Formats: sequence, C-alpha cells, structure tokens
Amino acid sequence: MIAATVLALLVLPLLVLRGRTLLRYCGVDAATWLFAWILWRRLPGFDPRLAFAALAVLKLATFALFLAAGAQVRWSANRAALVAAIVYALAIPAMLGRPIDGDEPFYLLVTDSVTRDFDLDLANQYRARVAAQWERGDVVPQFGDPVGKRGEQYSRHEPFLSLLMIPGYTLAGLHGAIATIALFGVLLVRSTVRWMEDEGIGETAIRGVFPFFALAPPMLFYATRIWPEVPAAFFFVEALRGVREQRAKRWMPALLGMVLLKLRFVLVAAGVVAAARKKRALAILAVPLLVVWFATGDPLNVHTWRELVPMNPMNYLVGLCGLLVDGMSGLLFQAPFYLFAIVALLNWKTAPRGFRTGILASLLYVFYLIPRGEWFGGWAPPLRYLVFLMPVLALGIAAVWEKVPRGTLAMAAAWTAGLVTHGLAYPWRLFHEFTGENAAGEWLSSHYHTDFSRLFPSFIRLNDAAWWGLLALLLFVIRAKREVIVASALGLAVAFHVARQPGRIVHFEDAHVTHDGGRLYPEPFTVMRTAYTGGWVLEASHSATFLARQGTHTLHFITGLGATFELAGNAYSVPAGERYQTIAVRIPQTGPTTFRVLSGAINVDRLEAR
Amino acid sequence: MENLRWIAAAALSAYACSLAVHHTTPIDLALPFLAIAVTLLAWLSYSEVLLGVPVLVVAEIAVPDERLRLLVFGAVGATGVAIAVNVGRGFSPPPPGEGGLKPRPTLDGAPIVALIALLLLRWIPLGHVRYGRELLLLAIAAAIVFVLGRTPFAVTVAVVVSLVTTAVPLRTLAFPLAVLLIAAAARTFGMPALRLVWPSTVVLAFVMLFFPWSGIVARAFPYFLQRAAPEKPRTLVRQALAPRQGETYWVPEGATHLIVSGANVAHLRRGAILGRMEPGAVDIRIGDVADWGYARREAWHKAHNPLPRDAAGEVRDYGYEAWIDGAGRIPLPRGARLIRVTADGALPPHVSLQVEGFE
Repeated sequence: MIAATVLALLVLPLLVLRGRTLLRYCGVDAATWLFAWILWRRLPGFDPRLAFAALAVLKLATFALFLAAGAQVRWSANRAALVAAIVYALAIPAMLGRPIDGDEPFYLLVTDSVTRDFDLDLANQYRARVAAQWERGDVVPQFGDPVGKRGEQYSRHEPFLSLLMIPGYTLAGLHGAIATIALFGVLLVRSTVRWMEDEGIGETAIRGVFPFFALAPPMLFYATRIWPEVPAAFFFVEALRGVREQRAKRWMPALLGMVLLKLRFVLVAAGVVAAARKKRALAILAVPLLVVWFATGDPLNVHTWRELVPMNPMNYLVGLCGLLVDGMSGLLFQAPFYLFAIVALLNWKTAPRGFRTGILASLLYVFYLIPRGEWFGGWAPPLRYLVFLMPVLALGIAAVWEKVPRGTLAMAAAWTAGLVTHGLAYPWRLFHEFTGENAAGEWLSSHYHTDFSRLFPSFIRLNDAAWWGLLALLLFVIRAKREVIVASALGLAVAFHVARQPGRIVHFEDAHVTHDGGRLYPEPFTVMRTAYTGGWVLEASHSATFLARQGTHTLHFITGLGATFELAGNAYSVPAGERYQTIAVRIPQTGPTTFRVLSGAINVDRLEAR
Repeated sequence: MENLRWIAAAALSAYACSLAVHHTTPIDLALPFLAIAVTLLAWLSYSEVLLGVPVLVVAEIAVPDERLRLLVFGAVGATGVAIAVNVGRGFSPPPPGEGGLKPRPTLDGAPIVALIALLLLRWIPLGHVRYGRELLLLAIAAAIVFVLGRTPFAVTVAVVVSLVTTAVPLRTLAFPLAVLLIAAAARTFGMPALRLVWPSTVVLAFVMLFFPWSGIVARAFPYFLQRAAPEKPRTLVRQALAPRQGETYWVPEGATHLIVSGANVAHLRRGAILGRMEPGAVDIRIGDVADWGYARREAWHKAHNPLPRDAAGEVRDYGYEAWIDGAGRIPLPRGARLIRVTADGALPPHVSLQVEGFE
C-alpha cells in the first residue's frame, strides 16, 4: 500500500504539470520527502497510520496547490478524472481499514442475494451470516424492514445501487463493489468538469475548485464507500447537463437513474422536470414507486405520505442552520469549502444557469430534508444528504472564484487537509453517535476534562454556541484576508481560554465527564437517538466526575427505582417516577465535582446552573 | 496604512498565542514571539503564511506530546522561512525568466529573514541571552547577507555561521567575523552573488525545523539526522571508573546495549580509547561515546568530541541552551550474562569512564 501510494504521488504531477511548474513541484516534492524521512526517524513512537496519511495528504495538497496556481498545466476533464481515479484507488484500502458500516452491508447483501439467488429476499443471507465475509457477521434485519407475505426479508433500501454493483461484486467481491462506486465518482468528476467548461468557467477557476470538490470530503469519502450518494450526484449532473443542452434523451435516463437510487430523489427530480418544462417526464417520478411496490409490496417502502406534511417552523430553522454550521454534521466543520457557495448565491443574477437550475431543482428536497429528525444523515459519514448537491455548489463557487475570500479559502484548505487526513487514518470516525458532540470536541474534552464540546455549535443537541456559530458564515464573504486569519487565531485562543472554565450546563454523557461505572442512555447505535433525552445511567457505587461552577444548579434526571446520591459532599434522595424530574442541588465551590450514587439507580440528563 | 495593519496583525497574533499558551517549556512561552515572526515572514512573502498563527494556536491546544508539539512549531517556522527565501520581497531579483516577486526598493527582506531566523534560533530562552554579544552577532549576520548579495544563499550562510557561534567565550565571535571578511574578499575579487535557492531552502528549513532545540543543531549537528531509538527501559548503573579501574556487571534480562559516557574527555579526539568491555575485547572510544557535557554552550568551544555514533544522551533544555549529554550505546556481546568494563590505563588521572546503565 505504501509503495502504491508513493508511486501514485510520483505519477500525479506527471499527468498534469509541465515545464517549470513540474520542475518546481519536483523540488518541493523532493524536499518534502527528505523532511518526512527525517521526521520519521525522529518520531519512532508516532502512529504510523496517521503519519502516513498526513504525509500523503500533505503531498496531495502540495500537488493541488501547483495544479491550481501553476503556470504550465496540461488540463482537461479526462485528466481530472484520471487524477481522481488514482486518488480514489488509494483511498479505498484506507477506507477498508475497518469493516463497512451503516447502510453499506445491507446494500451489499442485496447485491449478494441477486447474484446468488436471483431474488431480493435476504432471509437466507441473514441466516447464513453472509456479511461475515466482510467482517460484519453481526448484521441483522433493521427495525421496520419490509417483510413479504411468505416471510421474505427485504431490505428497506432501494435495490438499484445493489444492481449497479453486481458486475464489480461478481468480479472482486467487496473491493469490486466499492470500485463501482469509485468509478461513478470518477465519472462524476469528469462530468462536473465538463459541465463547468460548458458553463463558460475559466480553466484557472476549475483547477482551483477541482481539489476541493474531487479530492476532499464529502466526495472523497462517499466515492470510496458503498452509498448511493455519488452515483446520484453523477446522475444529477448528467441530468442538469442534459437539461442545459435540451437533450431529453440524455437527462431523462439520468434522472431515472437518480430516482431509482433513492426514493427521496424524486423531490429533486420533480424540480429538474419543472426546470425542463416537460410534463411527460413526470412519469419518471412514478417509476421508483412502482419498482419499490413490486419489490416490497409497498410503494413507499418505509416512508409515509405524512412525511410530506410541513412541520413546525423551528424544525426548519434548526435543520437548515445545522446543515450549515453544526459541529458534527454541518458544512462549516465537515466541508467548509462549500460555504463559499454563499458568495455565488449573493451573485445569483450573474451565476451560471446550471447553478441556478441545480439550486432551484433541489429546493423541494431541501425543504423536506431540513425539518426531519435526522437531517444530518444518521449513522453515515457527514453531509450524506447533501452529497448530490456538491457539484452544483462547486459550479457556483467556480463561477465566483475571483470573489472568494482568499484568507478564508486558505483556512478552509488547511482544515480540509486535516479532515482528509483524519478520515483516511481513522475511517471509522467518519461515523459518530449523534450526541451533540463531535470528534474534536470529544478529544479535547477527554484530554482536558473540561467541556470543549459546548463551544462547537450543535443543532443536534442545541447549545449556546449553535446560534453564535452562524456568525462564522461571515468569514465566507469578508475579503480581508489577513484580518480573517488573525481573527480566527484569536477566536481559537479565546475559545480555548473559555473552554477551560466550567460550563453552565453539564451533560452527563459527555466526554469531559469521567465515568466510573454506568452506561450511555440510549444505548450506542440507537436509531433516532435525537428523539430521546440522552443521559448516563448510574447505579449504586457508580460515579461521574466533572468540572462544575459554584452555586445552585438544577439536576435533570429520571429514576424508576428512586435513588440516593452524593454531590459535592451533600446527600440527596429522589423518589421513583415515570417522568423526568428536577431537583435543586448546591455546589459549594468551582472545581472538579463528583456525583456518586449511594443507592438505587438514576439516569442523569444534565446539571444546569441557575 | 498598510504597514499599520500588518503591525496590528502581528500584535493580535501575539496576543492570540499568549492566550493559548498553557505548557511551560520556554518554547511554548515564546509562542507570541513566534507569532510575530510568522507575521513578519507573511509580510515579506505571501499573506497566506499567516496561517501559521492559527496552526501554532491549534498545536498548543491540541498536541499534548511535547516533542511533537515543538516539532509542529518548528515546521511552522521552517515553512515560513522557506517560503520567504523563495519568494520574499527584497531579495536580489532572480535572473530573467526565473519568476519570483519584484524587489521592493524600500525594504530589504533578506537580512530581515536572516534576523528573524536568528532570533528564533538564538534568543530562546530569552533569560539566557547575552544581549551585547547577540546584537553584535546579528549585525555581523546582516553584514554577511549584504556582502554576499542578499540572496537565499547569503541568508543561509549568515544563519548557519551565526548559529554555530556560541558567543561564549567572546573570542568565538572571531568565526563569523572571519567568514564576513572572506566573503567580502571573495566578492571583491569577483565572486558572483550565488542564489542556490533549493539547497539554501533545504538547509534553512532543516535548521528551523529543529529550532526548539537549536543548541543541539548547532553543537551536535548530526543528532537530528540520526534515527531516534524507541523508548526502552533503562537499568541505571551510574558508576564512574577511574583509569585502570575495572568493574563487573550482571547484564539485565533483555538488555542489548551498554550506555557509557566520559568525564573530562572533551579534549580527546575521535578514536581515542577510553576503555574496554569484555568478553569480546570491545574497545570503547571517543566516537562511540563523548564527554558527558561536551555539547553544553559554555563547554563546546574547547571540545573536540564528535557526536557518539549511536547517541543515547538525554536532550536537556530548550532553544539555544539545549544540549545533549555525551552518552553512547555500545552493543553488548551476544548472549553475555556478565560483562567487565575497564577504563583505559593510559587516560589522565582526572578522566573517568562513566557506565550509565543498560538498555
């Protein structure tokens, strides 16, 4: 793997760089290898996986810099696709460092079932523990999966993606299946670059946007895992290109492919059909319903028509803001580059037609996505539900490339390099329990034993930082390069200073709390965790220690048995109850405080300063 | 106005770093100083170099391992200096067709880069700075840069020459002065202003990468090019053997190396025999080990010891005060359970061979 990566990193510049640009790159490349070698010798205990991922990403970032800013670059959509293909080929083994997760084994089970049994019934696959060959022998039917009249066990997922993976899976099993998705990723990159060219975007802008789009999250991680998002993005781009060229023979099949991948894309397809002004094409929207009906007996599968009824306005606000700046799943932290699309939106009238069509076509989808309980994508790598939209956003950004604030762009690039390194070195951390924390906050909290997570905006478990986090969007329109970078450094330092003080609220399940016994509530991997009041269950002799402020606090808890506990030297008894209760407690002085259960059991939600 | 904004940026960067500092090493405490240096380097080259400031803050917050954290600081400094010497304003213009930014007539970037590098390399920890000597050295360095034509090569020569000058005792300043005179003579007799951009960049970047331990870079140069041994348990012996004195030791289970250093042997040259290990009649020489304190700033000017081939010394202090003791690893004879170490009889009476322990 190391040899292949080294070789690929040597080949990449030869594909696109020429003349003096290539020479200069080679100089930087040689120097980087030299210093990497020196550091490798000086840091013998350093995590080799992280070190190698960091080096590869550093070199990829250097290459991207030369690609974007080089004077002598040989560039075309095909070369872009080739670069993406090489990077995806290297990323797949990194992703497979841990077993496939989330919906991935279920898609693959359907592929396996179709390949071996020529049916969609997974009952025998579950019985034979077929997924054990992908180290997922624990896979069982998901709650609510459709069951046939004769006990057939169907997957809730639309079968089209599984069907697409059949050739690859037949040839090379799991690797072949993922290679199929990567191939769609490569096609998507080529198609998007061509689309940008069609829309009249200059080569400099395309080369600048390309690495952020093709070699960075979320595209990189979804192109190297088994999810329908990247094929859907490819079909979407093809559909939009077809609409632009008014070639129904192109956009209608593409749109059909998209809606067959996921029922939810019908909402996007409706927008595309409206943009194309072709009423007959509305028939496409019915096709996935028919397919699902045929496969499972219910045209809506696990969905209901009720999901189309508008919800509480607050849900829309939370979902929209969450997609923008949430610490675990928002663009700001998971793919900040795409927030430059704000600049494109502010220049709507001059934006390319493809961008406007893509955005308008997606509005209905976004409208129904944001109020949902799992707007963030559930147990999946971040931004799952927005991946299909990324080519459109990339097009918009490319159109306003000259107006993109360079200071913020530099920071977004550095952060993106960090995200890619983290994702490649620890692919399992792309999945996160939706507790309201994120990987960075958890790590810092557990290291310092103070609540860093409260400073990362969370719209999953609303916190004070959430609304303040929206101010960060200003960074993406302010063009004062130097001031933005310095202000960010200052912001980080102030945040660190604040984070080391005790917070107003202590959530007992959070990483900064040192748990001596007990368990998370609800249990890990609970579906729709956000519907529960999260907490930590403690029984007699269990304790939790955390940094707390002096003063009177309200403890929120639920206990079915009743409990006696000690907090900061005072004992309290609480009665059993079916509902969440509160009790006033006093903490005599600021500092590490221990909550210890003396008898009974209690599920403690949070401690809130009055 | 533009320069005022840069000054404000430097001040805010320093303030941000001072807020973030919570580790106690002199390098961490000097973070605001480093932030100002990064801002200056950004001013001289690309303003994107300022990204180093948030990186410094993040490293201070999120990298608990001291060695790694200081290396990140070093990497920020190295990157800044490397970019500045490559594209910085104020350097002599490259030959036609080589690209680069046009020089600014009112600003001389090359000596500024050299001074920034030297401040980072020599002025941390600040409490140990001998101001008069250091200012004189900075002046000599700036003069070298000017004499050699304000090129990346000139900066590198100035920085390296100044770095290896301990300035203790005062007469060691003769070395940079000699280099300055030779450079002036060479230029007078027609030596061109050498640019040597890539070699200069690599050398400067190397020096800056390890600036948190610049004393070791200066006085025990190959140390950072050696492979660092993984942390292994050490059985301490700590016994000094006088000339002709021998001692027998049980080899601890799993030990593969004997750790030895010398006392009062700094004047000996490579190859001088200090003692012998039996079985196997293994000579212990200068080169295998060195004087325990030879790399200290005050001792170095009269030391002739090279860095031990397999250095086992402990890195002590930070910045220009950093040094490594002269312990070296001697492979133990295979399968030996008992060894005898004898100090050489020809050694002067005040010299001793120090058996530090087993590893």
